[in-house]
Amino acid sequence: MNALIIFLILLVLMLTGMPISISLGLTVLTFLFGFSNVPLESVALKLFTGIEKFEIMAIPFFILAGNFLTHGGVAKRMIRFATSMVGHWYGGLGLGGVVACALFAAVSGSSPATVVAIGSILLPAMVKAGFPKNFGAGVITTSGALGILIPPSIVMVMYSVATNTSVGALFMAGVVPGLALAGVLGGVTYWRARKFDYPRLPKASWRERLSALRESIWGLLLIVIVMGGIYSGVFTPTEAAAMSAVYAFIVAVFIYKDMRLKDVPRVLLNSANMSAMLLYIITNAVLFSFIMTNENIPQALADWMLGNGLGVITFLLAVNVILLLAGNFMEPSSIVLIFAPILFPVAMKLGIDPVHFGIIMVVNMEVGMCHPPVGLNLYVASGITKMGITELTVAVWPWLLAMLGFLGVVTYWPALSLWFPRLLGMM
Amino acid sequence: MKILDHLEEWLITFLMAGATLIIFVAVLHRYAAGWPIPGVQDWLLSLNLGWAQELTIIMFVWMAKFGAAYGVRTGIHVGVDVLINRLDARWRAKFIIFGLAAGALFTFIVAWLGSTFVWDNGAHHFFLQLLGRPVGDIPEGPTTPDLEWPTWMVYSAIPLGTGLMCFRFLQVMVNFIRTGDLPHHDHGHVDGLDEGKPEVDLNTFALDENLHPRPVAGDAAKKDTQP
Repeated sequence: MNALIIFLILLVLMLTGMPISISLGLTVLTFLFGFSNVPLESVALKLFTGIEKFEIMAIPFFILAGNFLTHGGVAKRMIRFATSMVGHWYGGLGLGGVVACALFAAVSGSSPATVVAIGSILLPAMVKAGFPKNFGAGVITTSGALGILIPPSIVMVMYSVATNTSVGALFMAGVVPGLALAGVLGGVTYWRARKFDYPRLPKASWRERLSALRESIWGLLLIVIVMGGIYSGVFTPTEAAAMSAVYAFIVAVFIYKDMRLKDVPRVLLNSANMSAMLLYIITNAVLFSFIMTNENIPQALADWMLGNGLGVITFLLAVNVILLLAGNFMEPSSIVLIFAPILFPVAMKLGIDPVHFGIIMVVNMEVGMCHPPVGLNLYVASGITKMGITELTVAVWPWLLAMLGFLGVVTYWPALSLWFPRLLGMM
Repeated sequence: MKILDHLEEWLITFLMAGATLIIFVAVLHRYAAGWPIPGVQDWLLSLNLGWAQELTIIMFVWMAKFGAAYGVRTGIHVGVDVLINRLDARWRAKFIIFGLAAGALFTFIVAWLGSTFVWDNGAHHFFLQLLGRPVGDIPEGPTTPDLEWPTWMVYSAIPLGTGLMCFRFLQVMVNFIRTGDLPHHDHGHVDGLDEGKPEVDLNTFALDENLHPRPVAGDAAKKDTQP
C-alpha cells in the first residue's frame, strides 16, 4: 500500500515536468509528513550524508576529463585513425564512424556530445561520398551510445554508488560487451553497405595508419590510464578519475593545443554545472531509496517474486521491459539511481551476479538513448542531420534491432560480461 | 545581482579545480615519497596528506550545492517533460510555473531544515562564544575526523547553497512569468567544430528532447511567423 502511494506521488510529480531531483525530494517529504512516522531528523541527516562518499567524487572528475577532450579536434583525430584502419572494407566511412564513435565516446564520456562531434564532421563527408543520409544518421546515432558501456563510464559509477558494487570490476566487465556491441553495430553497417553496394575508401598505407595512430594515441591513453591504474592498484577509481582529468587537461592544452589556457575556467564551470546536477539527483535518490528500504519495498518485491515461483529468467525479462519503458521518459543516470536500489535486492536474492546485473542495466540505458520519445542521441542527431524524429527512427531501426538482440544476449549470457573481470582476478 | 552571479560561478570553478589538484598532488605525493632521493624523501614523508580525501569531499559537497543553484539558472536540471511538452502553450505555462514553485518550496524546506541542523550542531555555540555570551549546555558540535573542522561550518553549505537555489527558482519563475522564456542547457555542445554553426543547429526550439520543458515564448514567436 505504502509502495503504491510512494510511486503514485513520484509519478504524478514527475509528469508535471519538474526536475527529477526535485520530484524525488518532494515525494520523500510528502510521504514523511503525510503517511509515515519516521522522524524527520533521520531524514535531515541523510540529506547531509547523501553524497559524502569518496567513490561518488569520481563522477565530477570523469565529467571534467571528458569535457577537456570533448572537442572537434579530438573527434577529427579519432575519425582519421578509425577510417584509416577500417575504411577500405564495405561501409567504409560508416564503419569508421562506428569505431570513431566508440573511441570518442569512451574518452568524452558523453553520448550526445559524441553524436554531435563525430556526426557533424563525418555525416557531410559521408553524404559527399555517396552514402544516403539516413544510413549515416543511423550509424552515428546508435554508435554514439557505446560510450556508457566502454569504460570509463559515469553511468557505471552511478550504479556502483547505488548498489555498493566495485567500480573497477564493473569497468572491466564493460570491456568485452562494449567491444562486442561495437562489433555488432559494425556488422550491421558492413552487411547493409554490402547489400546496397556503398562506396569504400582506398586502403590506407601502414605509414598513414601509424601517423593517424600517433595523433590519436594521446586521447586514447586516457582509457589506458584509468583501466591500467585501477587494475594494477596504483589508483582507486576516484583517484584514477582525478588523474585522468589532469591528464586530459595537459593533452588538451599542451599537446593537442585545441584549447587555450583562458578556455579552461569555462570548461571547469561547465563540468561543475553538469556534475552538480547529477550529484543533486544522487542526493535526492539516496533519500528516496532510504524511504524505500525503510518501507521494506525491495524486500516485499523479492518475497512476492519468490513466492510466485518466478525465476531468474522471468525476473530479468521484467527488468528489461521496465528499464526500456523507463528509458522512454528519463535519462540514464536518473533511471539507474531510482531503479537500481529497488531491483538490486531482488536480483541478489535470485543469485544474479551484481556486476552482471549492472551491465544489463547499462546496456538497457544504451538502447534507451536511441529511441523516442526521450532518446537524447536521437534528438541531437535530428539537430545535426535536419531529419525529423520519425524519419530518423526509421533510419535507426536496423541498428536498434541489433542492439535489442544484443541486449538479450547480454541478459542471458553472464559469462560475456563476467569472463574478463574474472580473468583479471577482480571478482 | 551581477556580483552574486559572478561570485557563484567563481566559487564553483575554483572548487572544481581545487579538488582535482588536491587529489592529483596527494597521489603524486604517495608515490614520490617512495623514491629514495636523499633529503627530498624525508621531507615528503614528513608531509601528511591524509586530509586530502576529506577536503575533496567537503569541496565537492560545496560545489554540488552551489552548482545546483547555478544549474537552475542555466536550466541544466533534467525532468520528465514528455507530457507537458504536448500541451498547448497556456497549459504548459501553468505546469512550468507549478514545477518551478515546487522547486522553490522543496529547496526552501531543505534550507530551513539545514539551517536548524547547523544551528543545533555548533553554530549556536560558536556565535554565542563569539559574542562573549555564556554558552550554557548548548553543544559545541562535532568536528570532522581528519581536518578537525567543526562540522557545522562544513554543513552550512546546505542552508547557504540550497537557499541560493530557492532564490534561483523564484528568479527563473518571475522571469518566466514576465517573458515566457526559460533557461535551457544544451547537452550536446561541442567546441571546435569548424564546419560551422549552420551545420550544428542545436537551438532550443529545434531540440525538444523532452528532458526540459519547452518555453512558451518560442511558441508565440512561431505562431506569429505563420501566415
